[in-house]
Amino acid sequence: MAIDTVARPISAADITGPGAWWCNGCGDFGVTAAFKDVLLSVVNELGVPLERVFIVSGIGCSSKEPEMLRVNAYHGQHGRSIPVAMGLALANPSLVVVDFGGDGDTYGIGMEHFVHACIKNVNMTLVVMNNQVYGLTKGQASPTGHLGLKTSSTPYGKTIRPVNPLKLAIAAGAAFVARGVSWRKKELAEIMRMAITTRGFSLIDVFSPCVTYHREPGYRGSGAIVDWYRLNYVVDIKEAWRRMQEQVFSEEERSRLPADYDPTHHEAALMALRLIEEAAKMGREVTGVLLINESAPTMAEALGISADRPPALADIAIESNLAIYREWLAELR
Amino acid sequence: MWKLQVCGAGRAGDGTNTFAQLLGKILKDMGAWVFIWRDEVYSNIQTRDSAFGMRAADFPIYGPEEGFDILVAFDEGALWDWTREGRIPPIERLRAGGVLIYDSSPRLEYPNTGHEVKEELVASVAEAKGLKVFGAPFGAMAKERFGNYIVRGAIALGVLAHMLRLPVQAFERQFRRLFNEELFRLNMDALLEGVAYARHEGWEVPDLEVRLDSAEADGRQFLMGNEAVALGAIVAGCRFFAGYPITPASEVLEYMAEKLPKVGGVVVQADSEMAAIHHVIGASIGGCRAMTATAGPGFSLMQEAISAAGMTETPIVIVVSQRGGPATGLPTKVGQEDLNETIFGGHGDFARIVLSPTEPEDAFYLMGTAFNLAERYQCPVLVIYDQVFAQSQYTIPPLDPQRFSIDRGKLIGPWGPPWRGDGPFRRYLLTPDGVSPRAVPGTPGITTMYYNSNEHNEDGYITEEIPIREAMVNKRVRQRLAIIRKDSDLPPPRVGGHPEASIGFIAYASLYGPLVEVVGQLTAEGRPAKLMALRTLWPFPSKEVRRFVQSCRRVYVVEYSVGAQLRGLVQMEATGPMPRKLRSILRYDGRPMTPQYILRAMEDG
Ligand SMILES: Cc1ncc(C[n+]2csc(CCOP(=O)(O)OP(=O)(O)O)c2C)c(N)n1
Ligand code: SF4
Ligand SMILES: [Mg+2]
Repeated sequence: MAIDTVARPISAADITGPGAWWCNGCGDFGVTAAFKDVLLSVVNELGVPLERVFIVSGIGCSSKEPEMLRVNAYHGQHGRSIPVAMGLALANPSLVVVDFGGDGDTYGIGMEHFVHACIKNVNMTLVVMNNQVYGLTKGQASPTGHLGLKTSSTPYGKTIRPVNPLKLAIAAGAAFVARGVSWRKKELAEIMRMAITTRGFSLIDVFSPCVTYHREPGYRGSGAIVDWYRLNYVVDIKEAWRRMQEQVFSEEERSRLPADYDPTHHEAALMALRLIEEAAKMGREVTGVLLINESAPTMAEALGISADRPPALADIAIESNLAIYREWLAELR
Repeated sequence: MWKLQVCGAGRAGDGTNTFAQLLGKILKDMGAWVFIWRDEVYSNIQTRDSAFGMRAADFPIYGPEEGFDILVAFDEGALWDWTREGRIPPIERLRAGGVLIYDSSPRLEYPNTGHEVKEELVASVAEAKGLKVFGAPFGAMAKERFGNYIVRGAIALGVLAHMLRLPVQAFERQFRRLFNEELFRLNMDALLEGVAYARHEGWEVPDLEVRLDSAEADGRQFLMGNEAVALGAIVAGCRFFAGYPITPASEVLEYMAEKLPKVGGVVVQADSEMAAIHHVIGASIGGCRAMTATAGPGFSLMQEAISAAGMTETPIVIVVSQRGGPATGLPTKVGQEDLNETIFGGHGDFARIVLSPTEPEDAFYLMGTAFNLAERYQCPVLVIYDQVFAQSQYTIPPLDPQRFSIDRGKLIGPWGPPWRGDGPFRRYLLTPDGVSPRAVPGTPGITTMYYNSNEHNEDGYITEEIPIREAMVNKRVRQRLAIIRKDSDLPPPRVGGHPEASIGFIAYASLYGPLVEVVGQLTAEGRPAKLMALRTLWPFPSKEVRRFVQSCRRVYVVEYSVGAQLRGLVQMEATGPMPRKLRSILRYDGRPMTPQYILRAMEDG
């Protein structure tokens, strides 16, 4: 018995919560705005009943996302949102599971789960609000903090190199890998929509600046950190492909690769990894949709679970299972 | 009363487990109550010494005794401490005048070459203990006649079959269950070889002949504690299991992996215990009855999540199979050192229930109670036991799934009528009994169900306001524990022995077994004794324990913990210090307590 209901049109007010007490100008507001647009379209246009949407989050400023919303949700422990989301996605594959976490949450304390979720290809979407710091604990450096970043825990500048989550996700076999930025709502919403409708594990790492704790020399005042990102830090993957393909790929390689960057191309992983490396040489991080590859079975499929017979709705009545229980008891003699 | 205790000893890989299994199953088929345990197993896969014990009797037994009647030795390690590390070899556990059967041929295979049982050694122990000794070249026979070293176990079984007068048909039946056609023939031939050998040599042990009446044996179960727990959980409706391999809990994962997919469930071998328990939380929120099973190190990793389940009011079941600790400790040996962590682990105050089965029959039905209580009270339920219970095989009366009833508490699902509340669904609604409704996600109309590990209001949103904080703590902890305490489904202690006795014993988990025999023996000797095995450890059954202690002149708390954790609980929750009345009987070397061990400890202290 699958859950089958009809979507009713909903408005932004229906899905708006009391708020998360974020700082004025926090990038996470942009992420929320984009997600609400997506949620409205998922329900009103794609016809997914709202009761089938489930939000999971960890602990951090970013993980307060469910406070901004009014939907079914679980707000759990720091770094542990992914395994909770996995449990939900397996218990009932007909749910739309979206996980919101921070960069510390996901790539620090929760790294174990992140890599395994990519490998296991759980059908869920993970949105990481990456701000290079631990916002909620007042600004210590996070695993994505760039070299030289000065924070309260790296007073002489960060000397440990940052993690690159996009490379990890690609290498670990995620079905959808993208980087969004919180200040471009339409683009981010489009990425989210694609991620949610992709079958398998989707990562959206979003640069979502912390206006309170992320400091860069020469960038002062509200909104300045967004400028720092825009002017110094990001490069769109399509543009990177146009500008850098000649220096990165051989002629022979280019002859097989598409003229414009195409995340669905069978060699998209290769293109993305090389461009990420090349951009890093210039101190830049790529943005945009890097990879879409739905070829691998999802974890639920691999385990033989389907949306029309979810474990959550299995018939557990004794009478319905009596014959098989008796058979198993007979084995234990 | 007939009983027999046999040890098969060799090295890991020698088939001592299969040997004990087959002998046990055959005796069980003949009507015996059989108990098989790991007498000596190390945390290695091959080459370390390995011994399995098999006890059989014509009355129910739930544990080993001291003193084997027969030792079957496949390696010199059965006879002496060849590693010279203070190991007590199985021969020390062979009773005076007992029977030693051994493989007299050289150990033919790497890496154990040279470690055969030496004649001089046999002669010296036989003399000292007055043993009856029978040496046969099992290994050489196996190689020469069958070209297969491992069938020396089957040849040895044949020798025993002759000496104990076990019918060959009984072996045939078990071999058929265990082997394919080719292996069946091979093993039957080897067995018959052993029978012929012993007959030819005229080997007899009339005092050990098996005397059994198979009339009642039909339908009795023969299973490991871990299997009873796993199957009990499935019958209770568990359809999601996540776990990470760890001794002595892995059999639960393995059993679930085999069975759950066949009833629409799912098993996840998680990337760690942290992942496992959070999968379980997710699946429970998703609408499954969900469980994990672990031991010491893995259980420590789960503490944060257990606290989260308490705060978010998510029903989960956690099985804790204890081994010797701390840290990695004694991975394959028994301990009861995690009781405090089970009851007091996880940060913060929250309601939880801790149950403990005494033997597999109890465990099977107890799992039904565990899931019902978890969902009724929306809290973590921990089921705690120990390695002896977990990995020993017990013979128990037939089990009946129809004795289960499933109560999902205040869970609303798409199977029921659509939810029609006025206003949004409130996950933490304050209700008269303090338990809020919960729903399976996807249930029509429910779109605002917010579980939160931060302190929250009725809607689930974060708040730190004083009146709400107080109301939520009261609901979640005080009111919850108060109604849990009143629930008549909480398993009462299991009591036994002479009701008027002045000597009492308190214990839990596998120690129920030896204590039944201890109180039986004491009472028979004219020193009436009684026992109380605790099956609910939290909320602690203070009243029952206090009454029990009051009715005795002396009470022994028996446990596998140098810290005497159970006694600490008894004192803290029921009796106060009572230094004169309460005594501890402790064992912390990782070996099972036998009735004799307990009786000796009692006399000593
Ligand atoms: C196990 C555990 N360790 C530490 C903390 C403290 N803590 C709360 S939030 C946080 C870091 C949050 O950083 P991030 O995930 O990047 O989220 P942000 O606040 O930046 O959005 C930490 C370390 C915790 N809650 N739990
Ligand atoms: S501290 Fe940083 S991340 Fe947290 S709310 Fe403020 S701006 Fe956002
Ligand atoms: Mg952060």
